[in-house]
Amino acid sequence: MEPVLENEKKIELKKSKISNIKVEEFKDFLTVLPALAFFGVFIYYPLAQLFNISFTNWNLIKDSYKYVGLKNYQWLYNGSGKAELINSLRVTFIYTLSEVTITLVGGMLLALLFGKMTRKYAFMRSIVFMPKYVGMSTAAVVYAWILNGKYGILNYVLNIFGIPSVDWLTQQSTALIGVLFLTSWRVVGYAMIIYLSAMQGISRDYYEAASLDGATKVQELRYITIPLLSPTTLFLFVTTFIASMKVFQSIDVMTGGGPYESTNVMVYWIYNLAFVDFRVDRAAVTSILFFIILLVCTILTMKVSDKSVNYDS
Amino acid sequence: MKPTKLFSVFMMSVFMLTSVVACSGGSTGTSGTKGPSASPTENSAEKYAVTKPIKIEWWHAIESQYQPTVDKVVSDFKSKNPNIDVEAIYQGSYADLNNKLVAAQAAGTTLPALAISNTPYVAQYGEAELCETLDPYIKATGFDIKDFGAGLVKSSSYDEKLIALPFQISTQIMFYNKDMADAEGIKIPTKWSEMDEFMKKASKVNNGKTDRYATVIPGWDQWYFEPFFLNNGVKIVNSDNKSTDLNSDKALNIANQIKKWHQEGTAFFAYGKDASANMRQSFLDGKAFSVIHTTSLYDMYAKSAKFKVGMAWLPGGDTNYSEIGGNVLLIPKKNSQEVKNAAWAFMSYLTSKDVNMVWATDTGYMPTRNSVTKTDAAKEFLKTKPTFQVVFDNLDKINPRIQHPAYSQLAKTWMESLAKATIENQDMKASMDNAKKLIDEILADK
Repeated sequence: MEPVLENEKKIELKKSKISNIKVEEFKDFLTVLPALAFFGVFIYYPLAQLFNISFTNWNLIKDSYKYVGLKNYQWLYNGSGKAELINSLRVTFIYTLSEVTITLVGGMLLALLFGKMTRKYAFMRSIVFMPKYVGMSTAAVVYAWILNGKYGILNYVLNIFGIPSVDWLTQQSTALIGVLFLTSWRVVGYAMIIYLSAMQGISRDYYEAASLDGATKVQELRYITIPLLSPTTLFLFVTTFIASMKVFQSIDVMTGGGPYESTNVMVYWIYNLAFVDFRVDRAAVTSILFFIILLVCTILTMKVSDKSVNYDS
Repeated sequence: MKPTKLFSVFMMSVFMLTSVVACSGGSTGTSGTKGPSASPTENSAEKYAVTKPIKIEWWHAIESQYQPTVDKVVSDFKSKNPNIDVEAIYQGSYADLNNKLVAAQAAGTTLPALAISNTPYVAQYGEAELCETLDPYIKATGFDIKDFGAGLVKSSSYDEKLIALPFQISTQIMFYNKDMADAEGIKIPTKWSEMDEFMKKASKVNNGKTDRYATVIPGWDQWYFEPFFLNNGVKIVNSDNKSTDLNSDKALNIANQIKKWHQEGTAFFAYGKDASANMRQSFLDGKAFSVIHTTSLYDMYAKSAKFKVGMAWLPGGDTNYSEIGGNVLLIPKKNSQEVKNAAWAFMSYLTSKDVNMVWATDTGYMPTRNSVTKTDAAKEFLKTKPTFQVVFDNLDKINPRIQHPAYSQLAKTWMESLAKATIENQDMKASMDNAKKLIDEILADK
């Protein structure tokens, strides 16, 4: 009898444990529920609506619309939208890769340059970081004037040195460069600060050991600093990549996507489709594709980082 | 069930639930809640009267230099209509205002009682039924709509219904340096065929470098160069409403002439975000003999220039029409009848005879009422701005713009193609053939 009783007791204990765990799980779930509801309302519902709109002919201002099947998808992948899509993606990727490169390389160089913890260097660091505080639209308006082909101060300075004026924002070949001037000026100080704080976390023992082994400064940079900064580089890469892919304000103020769509990045193109052409249906399809592209890029980045990022600091 | 599984199930449920909600509605969906009933059907003026105190918003794009005029007009209205409190809100440029209005319309809430709209948007708003039809209000209250020019009324209508009222109207004009013209004996062309000679006479080009342009043609907005094409037999939108003739011989002729002048440096085709500001400065600095712009900017040029500024009608071809620019006033349909009544009262006041001349005098916009142009106030106006005589003499030549719901897309494609071929010296025929392909698809899709 006793072994049977013991088994029953064990089963009862197990049941009571399971029911306690379930209650705890439910309580945990309840605490997360408000955040989930927020995500549901502000992210997942709009996403579902976006998908829905992509199968319609809605123009944003009409109350009703009709379902048109895959017409919008055909426009994007086989119709007149294809050429615009290819152009927009090309411009967006060129801009993104340029900005990421400038941010990482420029940020690291500035961090190495202004790395000493003295008052003078602190002042220089604050000067370099200050543009981050300036609103993007405000800075874009000012930069549009600095880069003005006829009356801009940059051309004025170039002329002093005998260099002819450049129509920075009205030439296909230089418009994107003009926008990069602004965005690089704003972000490179931020990257510098991030790298600086990461550098402070690298143990001096590595450098002392390297110094004893006769390593040069360049070798220290290459074999110690850069590898140990790889988590920070990954962080900056991902954040800068995503932000650059979604660039809008500087393009809107400085070039309006021109000249001749040479700065027509994806977000600006989607905005124009929705609010200027009143083609929310096409804007929805393009947004979905853009979302997928960003997702794939992020996944690829994480996979590459698993192999190449060193978390040993 | 483990927490991760529970979470996944929950998220799937949310996703599927929202998809079901989003996809409901069968073959026709709805994007938002409809407001109270649409246009009133009775003709009694009492139906459109304001019977109790109400506060309304007026969204406008009138720039800050005209704020004192806005404040004065609103204040005068309030003193005559104590029941109606108007809050005038500046919403930025026409494009900014359009974005906000369209967003409010889609949301179905926060719509203003009254809004300004740039004239090109009338067709799109009309097609989308964003605006209240004004015919019943006009009939019931005895508003004198016939006092407005036929072209102005047509530009404020869609599908034979009046959906807006002309408010601040302008047209294309050539501003020129009158001192320079008198000193050098430069004759302003009246025909397109005289433009070549004008370009040579009024410009100063030395060894390929331009010291002074004969004129600057705005390339950032097709409205400015559109009359050149229309007056020389180009339709832009063919009578089938689904195709364009912008690659026809007539159109190519005009386009190639513009390109030739730009390439030889006698004229400048201004394109880009900063082109407008550059063009104004060039004219004021004496680097351009003339510019093609809008009459609404007369005050700005006259006050800023160190020389006398003249206005000349644009050179015509087979015809010499210009087009309506500026803005109209509209009442969003989704508002309640009480709000619409108050909006109508304010709208009637803003477009009344008394206020018509106030806008014309204080800004560079033109009077819109025929009767006003014959009044003493108009005569006084011409005494202070005699250059406007050329506009008054040609009021019957100001036509409504082409009304097509897809016209803004057509205009953008046309403008980009023309600018690229002109400035980058590319083959105009190839550029326009490509533009036609894109524009035909845009028009056919509507």
